[in-house]
Amino acid sequence: MEKGIGSGGAFAWFFQRISGAFLLIALLAHFWVLHYASNGEVTFQIVAQRLATPLWKTIDLGFLVFAIIHGFNGFIMVIHDYIHSHNLRLALVSLVWVVGILIGIMGMITIIGFKVPVGGVI
Amino acid sequence: MHYKWKTGMWAFVFHRASGLALSLYLLLHINVVSSLYNPAKFDNTMGFLGSPLFRILEIGLLAAVLYHSLNGIRIFLIDFTNSTRKHSQIFWLLAVVGLIIFVAGAYPMLHHAGIL
Repeated sequence: MEKGIGSGGAFAWFFQRISGAFLLIALLAHFWVLHYASNGEVTFQIVAQRLATPLWKTIDLGFLVFAIIHGFNGFIMVIHDYIHSHNLRLALVSLVWVVGILIGIMGMITIIGFKVPVGGVI
Repeated sequence: MHYKWKTGMWAFVFHRASGLALSLYLLLHINVVSSLYNPAKFDNTMGFLGSPLFRILEIGLLAAVLYHSLNGIRIFLIDFTNSTRKHSQIFWLLAVVGLIIFVAGAYPMLHHAGIL
């Protein structure tokens, strides 16, 4: 059997199932909090009140990281299944890594860097 | 390669298609939420995304999330419990569950968009 990039894939397989179970629970909570608990309104005021607290920053960071890894791990699995050219595979998997890391950094800046504007949010 | 186009194969293909779509949505979602650094910009963006077009697209998002979640549960059951031989029945059982949740979710969404 030819050894490709990230050959084996047992960890990717296992991680996908564990993170999927976690994401399902996190997504239900996310949906409930955003669209039911506050009458479905998503305004800066409502979001800022949550994102100003360290607990919500932690929850959102965990959700962000797992969602990105699950999504991009899925992308890489699909690439491994259908792209047989070694060079193209390397290029596409690298692209997925670069986009994943960049969007992860963008999300982290949003969450960690969030500060309540001067004058408060209420 | 020879595919057998039965229930399991369709379930697999739709899982991948919905997964890829959800990953692309995740990119947009993180991008949109990054406008939080500016309160006015965030509310502006949310107002823009509140237009009927995006409310209808969100129903597609509901469908993709529902399919991927429920079939994900099915994959979990097939891989980790002794239910592999029942995968087809599990699929159709979850399809009924999914359809009910979809209608229950899509109706208020259409209503909110001013369509129903």
